[in-house]
Amino acid sequence: MTTVIARTATRITVPIALVTAVALLIQGHNLPGGGFIAGVLTAASLALVYVVFGLEELATMLGIRDGGRFGHGPITYYRATFGLGLALAAVSGLVPIAFGGPFLEQTYWVLHGVPLYGEVEVASALAFDLGVYLTVVGALLEIVSVVGAE
Amino acid sequence: MQPAFPAVAALVFLPFLAAALVPLVYRALGERTAYFGAAVAAVCFALVASQYGARGAVGVEWIPTLGASLEFYVDGLALLIGFLASGIGVLIFVYSASYMHGEPDLPRYYAALLAFMGAMLGVAFAGDLIALFVFWELTSLSSYVLIGYHRREPRSRYAARKALLITVAGGLFMLVGFLALHSVSGTFDLAAMLAEPAAVRGELRSAGLLLPVIALVGVGAAAKSAQVPLHVWLPDAMEAPTPVSAFLHSATMVKAGVYLVGRFRPLLGTEEWMLLFVALGLVTMTVAAMLAVAATDTKQLLAYSTASHLGLIVAGFGFTAVAGSAAATYGGEAGAFHVLNHALFKAPLFLVAGILAHQAGTRSIDELGGLWRDLPVVAAVTVVAALGMAGIPPFNGFYSKELLFEASYDAAVHLGGAAWLLPAVAVFGSIFTVLYSLRFLLLFFGEKPEALGEVPRPPAAMLAPAVLLGGLVLVVSVDPDLAATAIVNAVFAGVGGEGVVHVGLPTAITPPVLMSATAIALGLVAFPYYDRLGDGIGGVASGPLSANWYYDEAVAGLNDLGVSLTAITQTGLLRTYATWTLGATSALVLAGYVATGVSLPAVSGVSVSAAAVVVLLVAVLGAFAVARAPSHVAGVLTLSILGFVVAVFYVLAAAPDLALTQLVVETLVLVIFLLVLDRLPAYYGEVMSRRAVRDAGLALVVGGTVAVTVLLATATRPERGIASYFVENAVPAGGGGNVVNVILVDFRAFDTMGEISVIGMAALSVLTLIAMRGRGESQR
Repeated sequence: MTTVIARTATRITVPIALVTAVALLIQGHNLPGGGFIAGVLTAASLALVYVVFGLEELATMLGIRDGGRFGHGPITYYRATFGLGLALAAVSGLVPIAFGGPFLEQTYWVLHGVPLYGEVEVASALAFDLGVYLTVVGALLEIVSVVGAE
Repeated sequence: MQPAFPAVAALVFLPFLAAALVPLVYRALGERTAYFGAAVAAVCFALVASQYGARGAVGVEWIPTLGASLEFYVDGLALLIGFLASGIGVLIFVYSASYMHGEPDLPRYYAALLAFMGAMLGVAFAGDLIALFVFWELTSLSSYVLIGYHRREPRSRYAARKALLITVAGGLFMLVGFLALHSVSGTFDLAAMLAEPAAVRGELRSAGLLLPVIALVGVGAAAKSAQVPLHVWLPDAMEAPTPVSAFLHSATMVKAGVYLVGRFRPLLGTEEWMLLFVALGLVTMTVAAMLAVAATDTKQLLAYSTASHLGLIVAGFGFTAVAGSAAATYGGEAGAFHVLNHALFKAPLFLVAGILAHQAGTRSIDELGGLWRDLPVVAAVTVVAALGMAGIPPFNGFYSKELLFEASYDAAVHLGGAAWLLPAVAVFGSIFTVLYSLRFLLLFFGEKPEALGEVPRPPAAMLAPAVLLGGLVLVVSVDPDLAATAIVNAVFAGVGGEGVVHVGLPTAITPPVLMSATAIALGLVAFPYYDRLGDGIGGVASGPLSANWYYDEAVAGLNDLGVSLTAITQTGLLRTYATWTLGATSALVLAGYVATGVSLPAVSGVSVSAAAVVVLLVAVLGAFAVARAPSHVAGVLTLSILGFVVAVFYVLAAAPDLALTQLVVETLVLVIFLLVLDRLPAYYGEVMSRRAVRDAGLALVVGGTVAVTVLLATATRPERGIASYFVENAVPAGGGGNVVNVILVDFRAFDTMGEISVIGMAALSVLTLIAMRGRGESQR
């Protein structure tokens, strides 16, 4: 797999794919996209790195090579990522309760006079979507690494 | 007096809360956790006492739109069971402190015991059939943990599994009965049904469901209360630690069955009811008493005796209105009174058996004897309780048994003919009751076996509960009217009786008195032949004549069936799993369509653009190419052609979100496939034509099922779909132009929450299945 062509192509496409994923996540509320799609795209491009360069290189790229204080290697981080994602989604659902709304109620604010953009709409759903994104990325990367490690 | 909801709710849920806290409490208190349990039980007892005299239903609504609520129903019967479960619970916990000293796994024991008590209180006070069922099964579950306390012992595991299988299976019958009842009455509310029993009965009868409901409820009660032939689990349950046995036999578990019979007596009490329950009760009373005579173990003897006495209660509750006769009144009184009496004499007898096992080190009847010198107080308690069990006047069991005799005699006089069997069987069974009661008593008298040696006195914590219960037996014996006024009258009213209970020593020679005298006299006459009788019964009750045989054969048969089915369905080959899973799913779905009688909608006016037709044709070609692919890599690549074509189709159908998702998912799947493919052989093996035909057939069935499902699911679209609501509200309410995304994160965010939890769980499962595969093995 690790031909020069594959490596070069990966180097070029992965950053673009990652940026696209972020774009899909942020614009998802109004244009095609969303947390799930962005998450799968991120996972797919990182999986490409893994296939072409290997597990070690992927971990180095993500800066989690040493396994940190858990000492179980990158998989622990992937698990932590989707745990964080689930927690974020749940907390974003709990916040409205504090304001007297039902669980998982969403709202949005329109900000005026933001430099460069002028009018920006901020949806509270973005937090929930970010949770979805993190869950998907963490879970898929974990599956890919566990299966790949076999 | 109306019951108070907070008190009743507290007394039901407090034990469960305490059970959850036991691991923490145990860390602080150690073995003294027993006294924590006793305190909880005492609080429950006080709460039950605070409701003394109350009658009625209380509850709070939970999901009003679904009619789901938390309802409690309080009356004399519920209060008596509540008093027994919590009061005897206190004593059991105190006794456990000493009896379970030094045993392992005590947090599990005390937590299960608390949950057991809570479940029983829940059964007693549940005001709704579903809640009753849930608590009912909770008693089975917690008793499973308790009976299987010695989990390394095969016999203990066998006993626990037996109890669970029989009582839970019986509970399922009961549930079906409840559902049938609900289908007619339209409510699960016990109080509502008990308010108009005649109307419910009439509707049941006209629907032809009266007998099925009685039978189904009867199976549930019989399984729980160890009625013949479902009694087999009870003698085995003696594998439990003795405090558990004492609790299980006197105040919990088996009392749930007779509680159910008593509870439904006002509702379902008809001729069919009488036929079923009087027969069931009297047969159990006699057969179990005979088996008790054949017992060789103190706890086994007591276990059979419990089944026998429960038979007496069931028979008592079984008597219903007979024209011109007071049998129903006598029967209800007998059942109501004997629930109390049996708990009072059976609990101390089990505690005594526990003391003997603990102090003398044996439970074998033949190895015990003449212990009154070593254990005078225990002997005194045993005398009082055993004479109560035998029904010897003036001890407590006599009064309730006398009432049953009166009921059976009265019914026989008024019904005539075959009904004369009732008093005859009742007397016959009582002879054996006298016999085994005397045998148990003789553990303390007669000659002491040499091998026994000096038996040390039991510690106070073990003795005090037995003495207290023995004292209560004496109180009821001396002044039965006091017990009748204080407790039994209310119970009697709860089981559908009218008026007050009159008990006392007989003042005139009446036929029922003669029945009692006959039973006692014949028991005394037959006592010298006790061993021969026991051997004879033990010889007869074996092989296909014993209910145990059927249980063992059935379980073994089911095991074999399971093993052979597993060999077919789970071969370790992915192909087999896929075949069975897909085939079973398709069969179930199609059967569902056939059962509900849906018909395929007429397809008309299909308009597909030329571009879509081309794309779909490519997809079909791709599908054929997958099937024809010569190697794994080629197969995977052609499969992704299919996936990408579907994405194109989504684009054509103006669904950019779906197309995007399909594209990235397809890419990811391709990457994962390529990862795995490294390890697989490059080429498929030879395809056997038979297998290929089978697979093709399965593929056609699955494809057909999916096609039918899609057609049916899309055909039943409501007039004004929810889609238009989403489209109209996406921007104003959700603040997003992408309707799909707004649905995902806003309108249906709860669904998404569930879905991402599933993703997380899937990842964890993959991790545990693959990465931790080795760990479980090494632990064994």
